[in-house]
Amino acid sequence: MATISNNDIARAIFSLSKGKSHSELSVVLNKVAKFLFRRRLLSKSTEILSRLSQIINQEEGRTVAKISSVEKLDHKTKTHLEQALKKRYSTKEVILVENLDQKLLGGLKIEVNDEVIDFSIKNRVGKLQEYLTRQI
Amino acid sequence: MSNNIVENLKKEIDNFSLQLKIEKVGKVMEVFDGIVKVSGLSDIKSSEMVTFPNGEMGVALNIEEDVVGIIVLGDFSKIKEGDEVKATGRILEIPVSDSILGRVVNAMGVPIDGKGVIKATKTYPIEKVAPGVVTRQSVSEPVATGIKAIDAIIPVGRGQRELIIGDRQTGKTAIVIDAILNQKGQNMICVYVSIGQKDSKLRKLGARLEAGGAMVYTVIVSAGASEPASMSYIAPYSGVAIAEYFMDQGKDVLIIYDDLSKHAVAYREISLLLRRPPGREAYPGDVFYLHSRLLERACRRNEKYGGGSITAFPIIETQAGDISAYIPTNVISITDGQIFLEADLFYKGIRPAVNVGSSVSRVGSSAQIKAMKKVAGTLKLDLAQFRELEAFSQFGSDLDDSTKKQLERGKRAVEVLKQLQYAPVKTEHQVVTLYALTKGFMDDVPVEKIKEFEAGLIDYSERNAKVFYKEIVEFKMWTEKGEEQLKKAIADFKSSFNK
Repeated sequence: MATISNNDIARAIFSLSKGKSHSELSVVLNKVAKFLFRRRLLSKSTEILSRLSQIINQEEGRTVAKISSVEKLDHKTKTHLEQALKKRYSTKEVILVENLDQKLLGGLKIEVNDEVIDFSIKNRVGKLQEYLTRQI
Repeated sequence: MSNNIVENLKKEIDNFSLQLKIEKVGKVMEVFDGIVKVSGLSDIKSSEMVTFPNGEMGVALNIEEDVVGIIVLGDFSKIKEGDEVKATGRILEIPVSDSILGRVVNAMGVPIDGKGVIKATKTYPIEKVAPGVVTRQSVSEPVATGIKAIDAIIPVGRGQRELIIGDRQTGKTAIVIDAILNQKGQNMICVYVSIGQKDSKLRKLGARLEAGGAMVYTVIVSAGASEPASMSYIAPYSGVAIAEYFMDQGKDVLIIYDDLSKHAVAYREISLLLRRPPGREAYPGDVFYLHSRLLERACRRNEKYGGGSITAFPIIETQAGDISAYIPTNVISITDGQIFLEADLFYKGIRPAVNVGSSVSRVGSSAQIKAMKKVAGTLKLDLAQFRELEAFSQFGSDLDDSTKKQLERGKRAVEVLKQLQYAPVKTEHQVVTLYALTKGFMDDVPVEKIKEFEAGLIDYSERNAKVFYKEIVEFKMWTEKGEEQLKKAIADFKSSFNK
């Protein structure tokens, strides 16, 4: 028997709930919950939900970017980042999720889906360490 | 002194330029038995290398919609759920250079002999498509193994794939060690790939090669029994990548896979853990392709494409002589012949325990030198007939003269083909012995004195048949003049031996 992937389930949920009214949606979601319970897939619900939100974002032309930095970003930097990411991912809207991380030492780390652009000092120092300790 | 260090460090830091690039990452979902299931890593390629936070490497093998199945090449005990996995964008490759000769490396090309780092000049992908038809030429040059039974009856040519098959403890590894030892001065580079072998055995083998002066042209690739199955799986491919590095320089390489049964078992383990459907004997469906793509990389390139060759000696261990099991039949069908070793012969004292009837070399005869072809032409048939007659003669003693003669000749042939371990015989010496045997010069020498006769004959002929030796060694020729001289030398020696 072919196994159903989390992506398949998330896509099915999305197709079922697309364009449904509020009352119809509650019936659909109820059935989805029952299906997940019956097929013992509740343990995978976190992964399925994250897939679902990815699909919804994709359909609606939204991109979620997680920005990690040591200090809070100012408005100008955020606008600049939004513009740059919109262009790179050819998307209508970019949602910036800010995350403060002292371990980065400085700079920025941008995470979009499974892509990482790491401008942090921690990464640069790590790369320098790799370079200096390389085997000659 | 300290100023120097600071200056050097400054210079190094100045030279360092950081190119930040977009990295593809994934998250570890599951870790078990050397297998890691990762989510993310959307654009990963098959056989692409990934890195784990603890510095270990992995290879993507199963690429599914949601998850990527990765085998860890090393210690997986420190990898935990949620760890970030980075794709490298590079297909699995190993560092290679000329200085790898004489070294013992693991399946990733990292030295494990404690002799320091190997300065790599290039990296070679471990998976590569085998050379095409246009780049190849047929086998025509011999690989002298130094083993009489093989060089005379089952000759191997450069670029050939000759399987060595037999039960445990029948002398499979002994044959390949002798073959490596005999490559001294033969313009051949040897790569010995040890798959799932005991470290003590490898240590012994390394010491033997070192003592025989063979390590200077040999590389040992080791994936020991204590290492994960992933290392055993990639070791033969790493070995052939090293061999290809030398072949690309136009050199001839001899590669030994010891042994492919353990390789298939390692691949079965990985496949079952990756939940791939099991087939016959629980091996996955692509186990034939596993070995065919490996052995197809052994070839002889034509001059236009730089020459060079890879000769492969894969080894297969059978269970109770069963060559009709799954893996043995697969590898027999892939290779250009097999050397079949039998436990019964081994215990009878016939060593190397080559079963001449079941052994075959499909392309090697065209690579045999003319002299050897001349003296050993009928040997295989004679031996096969001897085995038949030997069984038949057990029932009665009323045998005609020609049968008796054939039996006596056969007994001497078996005695001549016996050989001690680590004592490879030069081709010219083999020719002399086999000439004396097939021309009937040994017929009246007692069987127990054959070895003594052989040693004496070689010594005597070397001094008294110089023209013959010169023709064979330098010009690979066989002339009537040389033959006459040899015949005379044998007759002279025989008369003195009988006294």
